[in-house]
Amino acid sequence: MNSSGLSVSGMEARPSNLFARIAWHWRNDPKMELWIIWYSMVVFYFIFGIVFVGMTHVMPPPQPWWDPPRVVQWFNDHHRGILVGFGICFFIAGLVASCNAIIAYSMRRMSVSRVFAYSYLALYSLSAVPGMLLTAIALTVGAMRPDRDPALICWLYDFGFMAFDGTMGIFLIGTLVWMIAILIDKNGVFPKWFGYLNICNLITEFVIATAWILTRGAFSWNGLIAFWIDTAVFAIYTGVFITLLRNMVIREDFGTGPLPKLGASSGGGG
Amino acid sequence: MQQVIAAQSATDGAEPQTDERVVPGQPDMWVFVLFEGLTFGAYFVVYMLYRMGNPELFLRSQARLNPEFGVANTLVLLTSSWFMARCVRSARRADYRAALVNVSLTVVCGLLFVGSKIFEWSMKIHQGLVFSTNEFFWFYYFLTAIHVLHVLIGFVVLGVVMYQLAGPARRSQEIVETGATYWHMVDFLWVIIFALIYVMR
Repeated sequence: MNSSGLSVSGMEARPSNLFARIAWHWRNDPKMELWIIWYSMVVFYFIFGIVFVGMTHVMPPPQPWWDPPRVVQWFNDHHRGILVGFGICFFIAGLVASCNAIIAYSMRRMSVSRVFAYSYLALYSLSAVPGMLLTAIALTVGAMRPDRDPALICWLYDFGFMAFDGTMGIFLIGTLVWMIAILIDKNGVFPKWFGYLNICNLITEFVIATAWILTRGAFSWNGLIAFWIDTAVFAIYTGVFITLLRNMVIREDFGTGPLPKLGASSGGGG
Repeated sequence: MQQVIAAQSATDGAEPQTDERVVPGQPDMWVFVLFEGLTFGAYFVVYMLYRMGNPELFLRSQARLNPEFGVANTLVLLTSSWFMARCVRSARRADYRAALVNVSLTVVCGLLFVGSKIFEWSMKIHQGLVFSTNEFFWFYYFLTAIHVLHVLIGFVVLGVVMYQLAGPARRSQEIVETGATYWHMVDFLWVIIFALIYVMR
């Protein structure tokens, strides 16, 4: 459990035993809710990674140019992984709210208008649909009846992968909203370089559009540029914002002015 | 004047100990330039890999481009960068009128660049050379389009610089230099794209 650095006077001393410490934080740490949300986000991305990479083999994606028999074989090869993996995926889909909540919280802590957080929440409330649910539904339906007409299986395959890779409008505008908020914020909630890094993530949403036109090579849905470089940028971006959100929780002083610097622990909680 | 502004921006919220600035503008923008450099570097590596796989097709397709467009684009963008450098210099001398004129000329050059790119693309499309024509044209359209996207973002950046220069209360040398850093990066990336797409044989 992360220590917030807050020393709340008059509270019982923090015990050294792990479970006792968690219990102590539960009772005394004013940042408990923030930590729960932050850890929920980490758990979400962790399970999301395991399901999409390790279980369903949606990432890295299989070939977009396969003929129907090969696509049917792909579904057969991963039948159990798809059903179990996406089952888990449906179960944890609600955890997406934690990512959206803590990012919206970061914008409410900024010196910017509330409309930024509200726009972001409204946009990203839809993010799970193109981000994972459509793919999960399409591929689960494909795996459900292995004896279905291969042409239909192929249709579900295309639908599943293009829903996952090719529908980026929500993420594009959402990233833009967060970026503008970070760049005009005067409370220093995030470093400005992270604001600029948002541009890199935003551009990947344009790059992937090429996968609608080409079904082989660098610009297809599993291509070097449209998938691998885009995913590398997205992974770095996600790793960076998870770390910076953690720093934000540590730095949070529940005030309205500039957020204290990391290490400059402030007294008093909310 | 410059020191005053730098000192002001340092107290504004940057690290308290940064009296001495290492790079022009916000170091944050240089982090972005580095990251974009890596991303574009990766694009260029993929382009070279495809080119090595089929050098004959790439040469044949390259011959169908009009190098004069590439040369004109490069000259226009280099000129725009020159105006931007003049803008930074004028702002340093607190000659904000000249700075505004120069940044406006930068925008004009940027618009010329985008206009000529659209003209060139439509010419190629009329000749039946589209994004899906062959591997060379994938990269031709992709690299030029992703670069134009950066130019369009650059217009927003230059707009911020103009807004800063226009109001006496808002003027920040740091923001002007940050915008210039972005614009020079756009220019620099174009020079590499020009060399790879139009020139390299």
